[in-house]
Amino acid sequence: MTDCASLNPAPAAAAYRRPPEVVMRLARMGSFHHTRLSFMRVLLRRLRDERWRFARTRWEIDGRGVGRAVYTVYGPAHTYSLVAFAHDLPQHLRSDRVIATAWDATFCLFDGVPDEDDLQRLAANVPKQEAGRVSGRELSLSRANRSVRLWQHVIDRLAAGQQPDREQIDAVGYLVRTTAVYGSGKFGAADRLSICERSELAAPFQAELLSVWLIRAFSIDLAEHIAAVAGGERATVIEPELRRRLGVGNATGLGMAPFLVNHPALLNNWMMAREEALARVRALPQASEAEIETFQRHLEQARDNAALWRSEHPLQQRKLAALRADLEAIANWLEYESLALDHPWERIFRWAERKLSLEGQEQLVSLLLEPYGELVDGLSQCMQADEHQSFFIDGAMPVARLRAIIERQCRWALDVDYDQPANRARFWYTSAEKLEPRLGERFEEAGEEFELPLAVGCDIKAMHAALCDWGDDFSTAEFLLARPEYRHTARRIQNLAKRPYAEIQDNLVGADMLPIDILRCKLSFFGATRFDPRSDRWVRICMYPDAPFPHELLAPAAPPADEAIEA
Amino acid sequence: MRVEVTLAEIESSLRKAARACGLSWGLAEEAGKAARWLAAFDLPGPELMLEHLHNLRGPDYRRFVPDCDASPWKAPGGILCPIVTGAALADRAADLLAGRQVELAGTAFPLLLVATLGQAARFHDTGFSVEWSDLRIECMGHSLRFDGPRLSLFAQAAPAVVCRHQPDAKPGMIASTQAYGIDQAVWRRIEVLAAETYAPATEESRAGAGAGLIDND
Repeated sequence: MTDCASLNPAPAAAAYRRPPEVVMRLARMGSFHHTRLSFMRVLLRRLRDERWRFARTRWEIDGRGVGRAVYTVYGPAHTYSLVAFAHDLPQHLRSDRVIATAWDATFCLFDGVPDEDDLQRLAANVPKQEAGRVSGRELSLSRANRSVRLWQHVIDRLAAGQQPDREQIDAVGYLVRTTAVYGSGKFGAADRLSICERSELAAPFQAELLSVWLIRAFSIDLAEHIAAVAGGERATVIEPELRRRLGVGNATGLGMAPFLVNHPALLNNWMMAREEALARVRALPQASEAEIETFQRHLEQARDNAALWRSEHPLQQRKLAALRADLEAIANWLEYESLALDHPWERIFRWAERKLSLEGQEQLVSLLLEPYGELVDGLSQCMQADEHQSFFIDGAMPVARLRAIIERQCRWALDVDYDQPANRARFWYTSAEKLEPRLGERFEEAGEEFELPLAVGCDIKAMHAALCDWGDDFSTAEFLLARPEYRHTARRIQNLAKRPYAEIQDNLVGADMLPIDILRCKLSFFGATRFDPRSDRWVRICMYPDAPFPHELLAPAAPPADEAIEA
Repeated sequence: MRVEVTLAEIESSLRKAARACGLSWGLAEEAGKAARWLAAFDLPGPELMLEHLHNLRGPDYRRFVPDCDASPWKAPGGILCPIVTGAALADRAADLLAGRQVELAGTAFPLLLVATLGQAARFHDTGFSVEWSDLRIECMGHSLRFDGPRLSLFAQAAPAVVCRHQPDAKPGMIASTQAYGIDQAVWRRIEVLAAETYAPATEESRAGAGAGLIDND
């Protein structure tokens, strides 16, 4: 494990860290917003700071918008290319569901710059997505559909030489919506372990999010191209300020939810970094004028964002109303209170804990980090995890110690009565039809025998009861040899002792559990915005709105012919 | 015909296959990791694991549990399961590190057991050795070295196996395979077995996940 303690520039922050029992609750995790530590921002900071270069190395798209394109970014050590295939998709086949079989555009992220042979191979596989095979040269596989409401409007306007309507752009937020962005080892793609030693891919999901950033550029280039063909000389391109407002949409469902439960060491490191960042800011004795100004600027942006953020889901509508009121309250606080006093951020944070909704509190957490890049950005290096370390079971640990960890850190599991039907109303399983995780109703649907080991709290309580039958001095090894059904739970408990933010402290099979809370937490760490739940288990988001485009952030690369294709 | 599969796919499919054959989730995780660890050396971990799982299928877990207080370790059913025994060995790594030698009676597919010890070696940053028949293997986290006939590596069973701490283990083959080539029919059998952990679709599951089948806005 990285010894982060010795690198800590703010040891005083430890006293300000929120405990896991406050942070690791679904209602709070489901109110997270993106922060400076979100992986999209980590990626763009690196590309900028390391002076990566950019080129659209291939554009072979016909007048109907069908063909292929390649976007390449050149870093100090490696080069990566988004290979895009644009298709002509009949309207009735356009589906957000992960089980769809055809899309408007399909993509992969290629390690290097693809030659014609690579492109032929990819053309035979990438458009088929799950039904095709890619190779270890590919780092990500993804696809996107057009937003029908906005796509035609933008093309019609640009073709007629006019700018698209800003309100319509803001109402949707993106021209295309991805429905899955696959990474590590999926469908033949490179395994994370084979690339994670590259500094630019060490942080989580960098290859996938680089794909999405380049897809955003492609989506707008494609719209402008089709408009230019349709409009001829009259056609225009979209103005930069309006262009920036467009991100990439994403539709995400249950399939993503078990990830955080299946990767406890990773979850711990994400949470720990975020909580440590917050604690460092709260611990600051003073704030400079420049820092206060940065905070206020970001508060204004958050208010703009909250105004643009739309949702048709009653749950999110209520949360949004609270968020808007909370942002007003923060602005009022700033008028009547002073950030010039001692420990100003701690004062506003304490006030927010008492007065604001969880949405507002967590929005404030994001805002508090904004002025302090130097203090917190380094924490992004602590957000990956060596999961091999957390897999190993210490068989010598006495049973008494295993029990004590549960009693100290898992009250949230022990205090639930799982004999109550409502407390185990659901079960997670993998659907044979979709090969995706799903959530079933235990007492209404068949299939409980296929339950995945995601009823974490229930399993912990059952293991604790079993441990109570064993004398203190027996070892974990002896216990597990006799009771192998608790092996995965023992692994979690030993992990939790070292990684206090590793477990979601809520009942993941309870009748009132909202899967969108898990999705929102994960997506906020990616850097997603404008969460728009479509049900309790399905959410739409926007990625990279207002972010710079590759040609804005990066200097142009020399023409591709001058670039050696990497071995 | 051969297909190339990633290490992640191997781990995931063999974990599910092991679960389908009746192992607990925790032991199934060990089975997936073991198959993956061997495939990284281009050794037939997935194939041997599949064969073992087929043999394992059905009988009661208790038939395979080693008596770890006896020497050699023995299973009531006569032959030790390398997944259960490998996990028990890894859990007792402290004993091995303290210099205790562990002897095993008849063991199925002993190479699968080496995989578990190899991972323990990585965790403890040391080496272990495993001997059976005319073969001696030294493993470290990312390396594996054997003396003896290669065919013995793939033995379906060994009458006796000896495991011990080998802090001076020498490097050998390096785990470097990213795409593992496997016979398509064998991979298909693994996937069919893995698919036994998937729930057949119901009307509820079809309705449950998304917003609707067509999403044209």
